[in-house]
Amino acid sequence: MNEIMRNWILPEYISDVLPCEARLLEGLRRRMLDLFSCYGYEQVIPPLVEYVESLFTQEDKALDLKTFKLVDELTGRQMGLRADITPQVARIDAHILNRKGVARLCYAGSVVNTRPDGTLSSREPRQIGAEIYGCAGLAADVEIIELMRESLSLAGMNNLRLEIGHMGLFLAMAEASGLDGSAREEIFVALQQKDLPSLKASTTGLSAELRQGFLALPNCYGGAEVLKSAREALPALPGVTEALDALDALRAALQVRGIEPCFDLAELRSSYYHTGLVFAAYTPGYANAVARGGRYDSVGEKFGRPRPATGFSLDLRELSHLPFPARRSGILAPAGDEPALVCCIRKLREQGEIVVVDLGVVGDESGCNRRLVKTDGDWKVVAQA
Amino acid sequence: MITIALSKGRIFEETLPLLAAAGITPNEDPESSRKLIIGTNRDDVRLIIVRASDVPTYVQYGAADLGVAGKDVLLEHGGAGLYQPLDLEIAKCRLMVAVQNGFDYEGAVKQGARLRVATKYTQCAREHFAAKGVHVDLIKLYGSMELAPLVGLADAIVDLVSTGGTLKANNLVAVEHIREISSRLVVNQAALKLKHDRIQPIIDTFTATVQARQQR
Repeated sequence: MNEIMRNWILPEYISDVLPCEARLLEGLRRRMLDLFSCYGYEQVIPPLVEYVESLFTQEDKALDLKTFKLVDELTGRQMGLRADITPQVARIDAHILNRKGVARLCYAGSVVNTRPDGTLSSREPRQIGAEIYGCAGLAADVEIIELMRESLSLAGMNNLRLEIGHMGLFLAMAEASGLDGSAREEIFVALQQKDLPSLKASTTGLSAELRQGFLALPNCYGGAEVLKSAREALPALPGVTEALDALDALRAALQVRGIEPCFDLAELRSSYYHTGLVFAAYTPGYANAVARGGRYDSVGEKFGRPRPATGFSLDLRELSHLPFPARRSGILAPAGDEPALVCCIRKLREQGEIVVVDLGVVGDESGCNRRLVKTDGDWKVVAQA
Repeated sequence: MITIALSKGRIFEETLPLLAAAGITPNEDPESSRKLIIGTNRDDVRLIIVRASDVPTYVQYGAADLGVAGKDVLLEHGGAGLYQPLDLEIAKCRLMVAVQNGFDYEGAVKQGARLRVATKYTQCAREHFAAKGVHVDLIKLYGSMELAPLVGLADAIVDLVSTGGTLKANNLVAVEHIREISSRLVVNQAALKLKHDRIQPIIDTFTATVQARQQR
């Protein structure tokens, strides 16, 4: 292959969005943002780059590794290309808007990851999501989950399996065990992978009750019966009971809205910053979750203003296996400066029609099914010959 | 349809009894058949035959719902996107450091000099020597690691040892035990959730069978 052929090849896991896919993605983006606004969410557009200190906390190594970095030539400080919009929106809520009550914010934009997030994922996901700040109650989580379902429904995904977990279970048990650093991280990773053999090995030093609790978590998945068996299998720590009560209440609230959730109490995968309820939606034909979310009450802390927060997001590009919408057909009009023609074209476009001016180049691919022709001195739309 | 990814040879042979316990019998023997997709007595279960090191990839991408993979392969793969709920206690062996008979391994490591290590398991080898504080130059090989020290390509190798016969035949000795290896059941994360009612009974039967064996 010669140099010229190579020059236009894109980096791995980076791709263009071509017209068919762009129609799908942009259509979904607009309809989802419209949906969010029906629920009272206001859109914000955070910047593509900002200082790394505000993009992730020092503890969030995973997000750090996912972030492309560059040096700001104006200040010499390190900047990052955002790998996740949620922390940016949390920053806006905590320090820019400074609202006292509830803030409902939404966003849509590209993020960039150093490594692809999932199997066959793009390194430039188009993240869209909605967040509620300032409400610690379950009602906010219910609204977010309902919104997540409605968003996926816009994409034609109605056969969903909604999975719910609670970080509070792990946090309470890890706290009680007194573990920190790498020992805690080992258990966290083993739980994420439901890796019972490793979990057995890394919990040997714990009290029998806590060890049994950690070992029970990977098997706590399935329907509502899981919540009952978890009460018996997990240690009766205040944090554990609180989390299970929240899951029970959430289930009841979702059932009223026609959602029958499943539970996976070892599901901690959403993000490191989650602190409470976490949820994910799965649908047949997709090897990864199609949308994720959860509660992250402590994120605002690093901006000096802790606010309860819950939200969800999804990558529009992950949905591009969906059938592409057909191109809307237009009207082919001749080029010309005749005032009646110019006026007629403007009127048709005002009515929402696609009018494509024929520039006279052979090999027209404008996708028109009608034509503007002059009959008896008037411009009329007729079927394409 | 439930798709199970297996590799030919020891893992396939030793998985057969577990499949039988779950009421699954392959229609053909991959050793004699050239087919890569093998049906079973159950219409809703099929096996795919892939290279051992490819099993996690097939399961991660959802091309297979379940798979059986050695812990060695999983450590190299990293395990992203997989559940690995069960140690099947089959295809057992040890991951070891071996050198040519007479090579002063302890001395070489103590000096703080760089060690040339040939291995298929670069991830495990890198971590093992980093934990010991030894600098290594890794040489990635795809097979016949035992040859490397003999022809001066490397000072040491990191490889799986089951009986030690190959080491002995090539005048090598194992000098360090890195970890025990056995095969794990791996499960695609979305499959476990979406096909829960069909996959969970298979996991339960495997678990019960492995436990019964251990108690014997």
